[in-house]
Amino acid sequence: MKSLNGFKPLAMIVPGLLLAMFIIGYPVLDLANTSLQEVSRFGQLRGFTGLDNFAEVFADPLFWDSLERTVIWTVTVVLGTLAISLPIAIILNDDFYGRGLARVIIMLPWAISLTMTAVVWRWALNGRAGLLNATLMDMGLMAEPIEWLAEAQLAFTVEILIGILVSIPFTTTIFLGGLSSLPQDSYEASMVDGATRWDQFRHITLPLMKPFINIAIVLNVIYVFNSLPIIWVMTEGGPANGTDILVTYLYKLAFRFGQLGKASAISLIMFGVLLLFTIIYVALVTRGEKDSAAKGDA
Amino acid sequence: MQPKLKKSLIYWAMLSPLVVVILFPFAVMFVTAVRPRDELFVYPPRWGFSEFRWGNFAEMWVKTNFGEALFNSLYVSVLSTALALVLSIPAAYALSRYRFPGKGAYRTFLLMTQMMSPIVLVLGLFRLMVALGMVNNLNSLVLTYAAFNMAFTIWMLQSYFSTIPRDLEEAAWIDGASHFTSLVRIFLPLAVPAMAVTAIFSFINGWNEFVLALTMIRSSDDFTLPVQIYSQVAGRYQVEWHHVMAGTVLATVPVAIVFSWLQKYLIRGMALGAVK
Repeated sequence: MKSLNGFKPLAMIVPGLLLAMFIIGYPVLDLANTSLQEVSRFGQLRGFTGLDNFAEVFADPLFWDSLERTVIWTVTVVLGTLAISLPIAIILNDDFYGRGLARVIIMLPWAISLTMTAVVWRWALNGRAGLLNATLMDMGLMAEPIEWLAEAQLAFTVEILIGILVSIPFTTTIFLGGLSSLPQDSYEASMVDGATRWDQFRHITLPLMKPFINIAIVLNVIYVFNSLPIIWVMTEGGPANGTDILVTYLYKLAFRFGQLGKASAISLIMFGVLLLFTIIYVALVTRGEKDSAAKGDA
Repeated sequence: MQPKLKKSLIYWAMLSPLVVVILFPFAVMFVTAVRPRDELFVYPPRWGFSEFRWGNFAEMWVKTNFGEALFNSLYVSVLSTALALVLSIPAAYALSRYRFPGKGAYRTFLLMTQMMSPIVLVLGLFRLMVALGMVNNLNSLVLTYAAFNMAFTIWMLQSYFSTIPRDLEEAAWIDGASHFTSLVRIFLPLAVPAMAVTAIFSFINGWNEFVLALTMIRSSDDFTLPVQIYSQVAGRYQVEWHHVMAGTVLATVPVAIVFSWLQKYLIRGMALGAVK
């Protein structure tokens, strides 16, 4: 747009840019600096120690356990979410009685903060008087209450299921956006050719939905891998570090045990992983923009 | 049977397990919030209870200092939203209207910061606030929420701004209006709905945020709602669950209603607007 190119738009962008760079940039540099120093538990930097903090992290079995659990947590939550969200989106994209109500209910978990969801589940899963026990006992599925959160393996499984539950709305939304953009005529043409609904799903829906599935995978990986509240509120990584993932372990190191050097090193490692997935995300988005620009509807 | 009715029944049957699991925590929340205290821990555990104790809410309000936490949450959410919007509106306008050097790089920067999660940087952020002398100060949350939200607000606003036709502004210029006047008189009134929706989502983000509030705020007088409710549960030998659930009802239900109502607008402004 005519004479305004140049400095004026930059002046409109710079204030926000400065705040973001300061609040996000400073901590990254500070973490990088701290991770290379010996740090007292009160945060005083006591001199350069090279990669000692990283060596300490890599020698720590709890780090490897947390890393392993982070991978399990991320992969199972993301895959579980995708496997449930795609059929849900296909149903919600079709016309049926009560669809509006169904949409509102499916989206509800998104509207509640993770902290509150986790607090409510912590009570619902209470080993003595939790209402999940009440429900299952009323249904005659078990005779005795179960301590859902007292044993790490079971607690972690429950946390994964809740992780899936809260990720469904966002993922379903992405898929609904994708489904609404699919061309109807390919379905009609395939019906003429005698294709079953399963054929349609495999040969039309799935290939055309691929960009949306990719985006859903990358965004969910980023969100889930970083998600602290569910595990923190329900078990705080316990019992005996048995449900710790990297973020909860990092948080304990930094704010409970005062091992700031080690915590900085883990932060930096996680920052690297996050950056990697973010770059994949940006590449996917940019490619999507180019594709739609090529089609002339950008 | 009519085909649509049959299809509807099949669909609802398929959705029903998920619907039950989604509604279950809400039922738990309400049933516990109005239950008499001595019926919390009964054996065997059961859903039923003798009477509705609406007084639990008033009791909880006083005992848990709910009003103060509510005020703190409002303070942080409103101010961080205001700050984010003041900085985002010009940036979004520039993105949707002008070409400028580095625009591509700036868009990439936005996409990347949108994905940046506070938890990975939480230790660095805490050290930053220590350096600024802002630990235990609600304004530390105002600044960080605004900064982390801005990528989202700019992205969302610019996708709406791009739908407002330029012709109107250009016509005003021809009539001799300055850029500033056309911006204030013509563009901004048309952009109000977009700004309102963006503001509400930014508000909800601040309202729900947990990790930074847990880290930066040390004294219970300054707790925001999520931290205040968490502190009723964590590390306590005896948890007053009926109070906790009454608190979660008050803290979540109004926001959940607004969110459900406006949720369809979120989709448009989000990153996936870019993939379509």
